[in-house]
Amino acid sequence: MSDLDPVIGIDLGTTNSVVATVRDGVPRVIPNRSGQLLTPSIVAVAKNGKKLVGPLAKRQAITNAENTVFAAKRLIGRRWGSKEVEDARTVLPYRLVAGPEGNDVRVDLAGRVVSISEISALVLAELKADAEAWFGRPVKRAVVTVPAYFNDGQRQATRDAGKIAGLEVLRIINEPTSAALAYGFGKQMEKKVVVFDLGGGTFDVSILDIGKSVYDVVAVGGDTYLGGEDFDRRIMDWLTFGFAKENAGIDLRQDKMALQRLKDSAEKAKCELSGAPSASIHLPFLVAGADGKGALHLDKQLAREQLEELTKDLVERCIAVAEKTLKDAGVRPSQVGEVLLVGGMTRMPRVQKAVKEFFGREPCRGVHPEEVVALGAAIQAHALVEPSAKGEDVLLLDVTPQNLGLLVVGGYFQTVIPKNTTVPTNQTHLFTTVQDAQTSVRIAVLQGASERAIDNELLGEFILDGIRPARRGEVSIEVSFEISADGIVGVSARDVDTGQQQSITVTATSGLTEEELRRILDEQLDDLLERKATAGEFEEKRDRAQAIVQEMEALVPAVQEALERTRFGKDAVHKADGVLARVRAAIDARDVAALEREHEALDRTLQLFRGLAAQARLPQGK
Amino acid sequence: MTVPVSDLIDGGIEAYLAGREQDARAAFLEALRVEPGNVKARWYLERLGPGDAQAPEPAGRPAPQTGGAAPPAGPAIDQRLAPFAAPIPSLEDDPAPSPWDDGPSAAATIVLEPSGGLDLGAIAEKSDLRPLVPEGARPAPLRRTDVEVWLSAAKELFALGDFSGSLELIEKILQVDPDHGEARDYLRQNEATLISMYESKLGPLSRVPRLAIKPEEVLWLNLDHRAGFLLAQIDGTVDFESLFALSGLPRLDTARILANLIADGVITR
Repeated sequence: MSDLDPVIGIDLGTTNSVVATVRDGVPRVIPNRSGQLLTPSIVAVAKNGKKLVGPLAKRQAITNAENTVFAAKRLIGRRWGSKEVEDARTVLPYRLVAGPEGNDVRVDLAGRVVSISEISALVLAELKADAEAWFGRPVKRAVVTVPAYFNDGQRQATRDAGKIAGLEVLRIINEPTSAALAYGFGKQMEKKVVVFDLGGGTFDVSILDIGKSVYDVVAVGGDTYLGGEDFDRRIMDWLTFGFAKENAGIDLRQDKMALQRLKDSAEKAKCELSGAPSASIHLPFLVAGADGKGALHLDKQLAREQLEELTKDLVERCIAVAEKTLKDAGVRPSQVGEVLLVGGMTRMPRVQKAVKEFFGREPCRGVHPEEVVALGAAIQAHALVEPSAKGEDVLLLDVTPQNLGLLVVGGYFQTVIPKNTTVPTNQTHLFTTVQDAQTSVRIAVLQGASERAIDNELLGEFILDGIRPARRGEVSIEVSFEISADGIVGVSARDVDTGQQQSITVTATSGLTEEELRRILDEQLDDLLERKATAGEFEEKRDRAQAIVQEMEALVPAVQEALERTRFGKDAVHKADGVLARVRAAIDARDVAALEREHEALDRTLQLFRGLAAQARLPQGK
Repeated sequence: MTVPVSDLIDGGIEAYLAGREQDARAAFLEALRVEPGNVKARWYLERLGPGDAQAPEPAGRPAPQTGGAAPPAGPAIDQRLAPFAAPIPSLEDDPAPSPWDDGPSAAATIVLEPSGGLDLGAIAEKSDLRPLVPEGARPAPLRRTDVEVWLSAAKELFALGDFSGSLELIEKILQVDPDHGEARDYLRQNEATLISMYESKLGPLSRVPRLAIKPEEVLWLNLDHRAGFLLAQIDGTVDFESLFALSGLPRLDTARILANLIADGVITR
């Protein structure tokens, strides 16, 4: 292994996240501390106040729905009031609120308002900790993947999440690009690749033009509310209705505990059915029987054909989305050189069959669909920190994710810097006035893929006034765009004749202000310092308590002897039992406050033991 | 129709506290017949001891048994101090006087009044005979009496060290009268004791429990759906502390269920 600090690649998914690295030249996924390769992108505050991230948070996602945040990726970097946020608000069980400036989205998590970047940071921190446990040393750098359609704001919010998690995000790369990298595409090939990504909560279809190490995402389509969870829900519905039929109408959906188990087992059965013709669903003591009767069991067999029937329309929806994406991009299925399957749901044989039928070719196999994106990110991270001497590695350049441009007459969008332009860059375009005697012009800077300005995201705007009055079209206005290596966009407009100039600087924002980000990072540092201080305090108190316990143990024979002579002290000795039990529990739980509470009682008990031992040493009859 | 096991056990406890040992024994035996694995019924029967060999009890409540079988749930005794703990009825960590000690005993005793008359109230209490209720009067007395009996029984059980049995009766009272002040006070005062009692059965909370029986044998257990939920979470990867977090149940309930699963040999720590 390299002596350099380890670097990781992270697929920060809507439903699950994966962390990978390159070790001894081989890309591999790092299992989490529970031994699983996938970590649910879920954060919760349990009913007992404990913060949960990953598998544990998922296990109580239904029983504690209002304090469990999932699918944060749908919200990251989004503006409050946007269609995506409004859609999410109608389906999410947790509470969303507007940020302090009213621009971004925040979550009310157990009474504390937190930004989406902080939520994603908790997931990233969990993955970082898993990687550190695996490497046995700190991990500080990572490449993180995002959907190809993420705009600068969403990418910046993801970067902020990395920063909060204690990671230097070396690069943000597109998920389909990452998948293609994992397959080793881009070295000698030149072809069109379709990435068919059916994950837990979202479905994305991307068309890439790959050639000479250029990964151009030429079209993106998808459905942000179609994924593996919809398949799970069909199984849950089937089980629920079957159960109600067999058990006098008992509705499992009314019982959160039953529903949680139903969800877990539906997902498990679905996964099993990708490799087996049938799966058993066995849930003993699932729900209380009617009229106070004993708990009822659920015992069912689900065949693969049944699942295919239950989810037929979902698979058809996927194919319809793929068809539309190709059509919009003017690409025929026969022109596609490779199809990559990404996301756990593409393991389903029926999905694979449908893809094969639609594209008329076998999809690529060889890399696990859940792991492929993280592996690509790991390969890229490795290439960034340890470039191969032979230059075999594909090193992606930082590029603009979307077109940058201006609002022009008629409500249209004029691209100035096209997407996939390597940064830093600058471009200048000439515009003119639209009316006679026009003395001012509105410069609205937009980002997006649509020809219609309204469909794109407004990054900022300003007014250039003092323009020389003239007939329309006679005044030349020069607009310059400049993107620095840090991704800061500067836009200036100048009247060529008068030299009158105005400009604006646009920094991609996650919704978190610099001040907020600094405060969050400071808080984390404080937490870390406090944990360290608490650890020291705990060790000191533990050592002291253990010394007292040892002395008491040494006094036991003498105390026993003293008790044989007297009736006094027995109660106190019994109380000592309780004190010792509590001290041991406090040590086990590393509870400094509890150790502090017991300290005086422990001291008193020691004095009692010393007294009794001294009595035992007195001659009989005294 | 079969009487529910919980009712049989409640009836047994009431009979036991009222000094009707035979009735209590019959109730617990019936509970065991309906549900052979019922730990509580078995434990109470052990407390009562062998029926024929037992010396006749004086009227009133039986004396607490200090050397009997351990209750289903009790505090862990520190092994290194076991020599001291052994002769002491160690049913709680702190043997300080119970808050109930100052209150009246649970079962009324029939006494002759100085003038020679009978204490009719006590007879009514013991015999369950009730005077007629005038028409239009509040129908509450019957329910109130039940509550009083349960409260007395709860105090009695607490004094005897049966914290969980005591708590069950308190919970029953709160079902009938959620605002019952004394029951609420009891719960508040003793919840911490009860939680630590159950948690002591679990050992360090960082331990990861595992199923101690074959998965197919789970079906033969007698669990409620909440225990079923917790048992489903025990997969060899989750420690006790995490189970408390993801159970969604009050800490006391989670601790009680887990302690019972250990006591019944369903899970191992």
